[in-house]
Amino acid sequence: MTCDDARVLMHGHLDGELDLAADLEVQRHIEECPRCASEYAALRAMRTRLKEEAFRFEAPAALKEKIRRAIPAAPTPSRSNGYQSRRAAWAPRAARFVVPMAIGAMLALVIAPRAMAPALNQQLASEVLASHVRSLMATHLMDVASTDQHTVKPWFNGKLDFSPPVNDFVKDGFPLVGGRLDYIEGRPVAALVYQHGKHVINVFMWPTTGTATSAERIETEHGYNVEQMTVAGMNCWVVSDLNQLELDKFANLIRAKG
Amino acid sequence: MDAAYNLARWLVRNEHDAQDVVQEAYLRALRFAGGFRGGDPRAWILAIVRNTAFTWLKRNRGSDAPTEFDEKLHGGSTEETGLEADAVRKADGAMIRAALDELTDEFREVIVMRDIEGLSYKEIADAADVPIGTVMSRLARARGKLARSLQERIGKDQITKEPA
Repeated sequence: MTCDDARVLMHGHLDGELDLAADLEVQRHIEECPRCASEYAALRAMRTRLKEEAFRFEAPAALKEKIRRAIPAAPTPSRSNGYQSRRAAWAPRAARFVVPMAIGAMLALVIAPRAMAPALNQQLASEVLASHVRSLMATHLMDVASTDQHTVKPWFNGKLDFSPPVNDFVKDGFPLVGGRLDYIEGRPVAALVYQHGKHVINVFMWPTTGTATSAERIETEHGYNVEQMTVAGMNCWVVSDLNQLELDKFANLIRAKG
Repeated sequence: MDAAYNLARWLVRNEHDAQDVVQEAYLRALRFAGGFRGGDPRAWILAIVRNTAFTWLKRNRGSDAPTEFDEKLHGGSTEETGLEADAVRKADGAMIRAALDELTDEFREVIVMRDIEGLSYKEIADAADVPIGTVMSRLARARGKLARSLQERIGKDQITKEPA
């Protein structure tokens, strides 16, 4: 290996991104070549410095709050009221260029599901859908990442006042990938994360309080499917961008285990 | 969201504008949430932040906007940087920050994504929309530039500190 090659490949080596053969070759070159060794040591030192907290900017709390508000967590009582109250929540500076976009986004997510499925518990549907979208956007898909149901289920102990049924459906093509705590209808709920191919499925569960409902479904124009059911005394909401047919299949698996 | 803000903050180099960029990016993400097809949600949101930031930079820099990024023009990764590990360890944080700020946007962003955010090459490739094979060579060039710039700063610093 020439020094020219090594000076590129040592970056992959430093980052642990080389295949084994190339990695060993670079390693050997660095051990034998004092000049490349010194370059490599400097790069490593530089990377260590860059990892210091001082170089990472943290999002201001006000910004986080603003964005949280922009993602519709709960539906608005009426179109005009919703417009007014949300509008008031925005800082005027931000409103200058984001309000028209925000309105569009909110109409799409809040109004569309309602208009299309008037019979469904709309408030919950919007909440659940918003939670699903938020989980994909906010780098917070999972608190506990595990494909083992015996790891995921006990993880909820002490975090919730109920124990959600956790099953892995890997044999049926829906592997469990983890779980997290979420917040819906004013209470902490269990969110189980499954995958089907590249699609992420969120399953939200919490104990039922009132009347049980049979399976209902809505579809938003974004192509998300939301399915609601009652399983083992739990309110259960399944959300994904998966097509309706496959999501139905998944919902049936959950129902069968319940 | 910290990752999104961190990237935006390093790209537009201003707290105020970074907030606008992140906010705009999240709203775009919300609008196009249907376009998310699995994969790493972090890379997906960072890709949107990045595009929003670049649009912002183009709009606000006006005529002195850099022309199309050319890998070849920014070569030189295989030349020795002459940087020493000990000097880096002792270097002032402000010096490192200034050296990083001075890099081309495309170089700065890979260093921020890899070294500060800890993204994998695959995630960087997704977020920056470049082939995965380009990530390492771009990182090599970016770090080479950063090392040389840092070395120069350290050198100057030592001269001014020497007694007259």
